[in-house]
Amino acid sequence: MLHCGKYLEGGSDLHTLARLEETGLSIMLRESGLAFFSSLTLHSLAMAFVVGINLALAFSLLGVIPSLLHSRFRPFLSFHWWAVGLIFLSGVALLIAYPAKALTNPVFYLKFFALSVGLLITWRLQRSKGMKILESSAVGARPGNAKSIGAAMLLCWMTTIGAGRFLAYTHSVLLASRFF
Amino acid sequence: MEQALLQFSQFTGIFAFMNSPWGWPVVESLHFFGLSLLIGTVGVFDLRMLGFGAGISYQFLHQLVPIGVFGYALNVTTGTMFLSSAPDQYLYNPAFQTKIGFMLVAGANMMWFYVTTSSKVRDTKDFGMVSARAKAIAFVSLACWCGVIICGRLITYFRPPYHWCFWC
Repeated sequence: MLHCGKYLEGGSDLHTLARLEETGLSIMLRESGLAFFSSLTLHSLAMAFVVGINLALAFSLLGVIPSLLHSRFRPFLSFHWWAVGLIFLSGVALLIAYPAKALTNPVFYLKFFALSVGLLITWRLQRSKGMKILESSAVGARPGNAKSIGAAMLLCWMTTIGAGRFLAYTHSVLLASRFF
Repeated sequence: MEQALLQFSQFTGIFAFMNSPWGWPVVESLHFFGLSLLIGTVGVFDLRMLGFGAGISYQFLHQLVPIGVFGYALNVTTGTMFLSSAPDQYLYNPAFQTKIGFMLVAGANMMWFYVTTSSKVRDTKDFGMVSARAKAIAFVSLACWCGVIICGRLITYFRPPYHWCFWC
C-alpha cells in the first residue's frame, strides 16, 4: 500500500489534495447526502451494466454461451458506451468528494488500469477484430484468438470489481485536510 | 432469528471467514460479480423485449439466461454470508427490507413471465415486437434489478435504530 507517509514527506501533493477538498464543489459532494449517494448509486448502476455486458461478451468468447459477436448486438454496445460515460462522470464526482482517499491508494490505480484495459479490449473488438470481420457471419462465429481475448476480458473486469470493492477497505488517508 | 443466523454463521465457519481481513471485501466483490452477470444477461434480454437491439432473436438471447441464474445463485450465497455474519445490520435495516421486496417482486415477475409469456416471446420473429404484457414484464424486471442495486448501496449508508422494521 502507498502510505500517506510518502505524501507527508513531500507535503506538496497532500497540500494540493487538501486544497481540492476545500473547494465548494468537493464540500457539496461530500456533505450533501443526496449528491454523494446519487453519484455512488449511478456509479454502481452504470458499472453493473458495463461489467454485465462485458462479462456476457467474455463468456461468449470463451464458448460458455453462444457468440454475441454480431453486428446486431451493436445497439447494446452503444448503450454500454453511454453507461461508460456515466461511470466516468460519477467517478469524477466521487473523486472530487474524497480526492486523497483514492489518489493516495494504489488500489485506485489498479482499478483504473483494469477498467481502461477492459474497455480498450471491447473497443478494439467492436471496431476492428470482432464485429466488422464477423458482420457477414452467422451468429455463433468467433475469432481465432477468442478464448485468450475472453480470458483477458474476464480478468480485467474481475480485477475492476475487486479493486473497486477493496478501495473502501484499503485507504490510508480519508481527508488530506486533516493533516494541516 | 438473529441468534439462529449467527449460530449458523459460526457453525459453518462463515463468521470466521467474513471477519478475516479479506473476507468482507472478497465476498462483496463476488456479490457484485453475480449482480453484473444478472444485469448482463437477464437485463439484456429485458432490454430486447422492450424493443432494443431489433434483429437479435429472442430465442438466441434467452440462451444467456442460465448465466444470469448462476449470477443470481452467487448473489443469494454471498448475500446469505453477509446476513448471517451481521444479522443486526440487515434485519432491521429498511434498505435491506426494500431490497428483499424488490427481489421478491422480480422473482414473482419472472414466474409470471414463464407461466404466461415466455413461449410466445421465444416464437416471435427476429424483427418482431413482443406483446404489451411481455414489455410490462421486462420493464418491471429491469426496474426491480435497478431497485436492488440502489437499495444495496443504501444498506451501508442507512444504519437505522435497531427497533425499526416493517414487522416490529
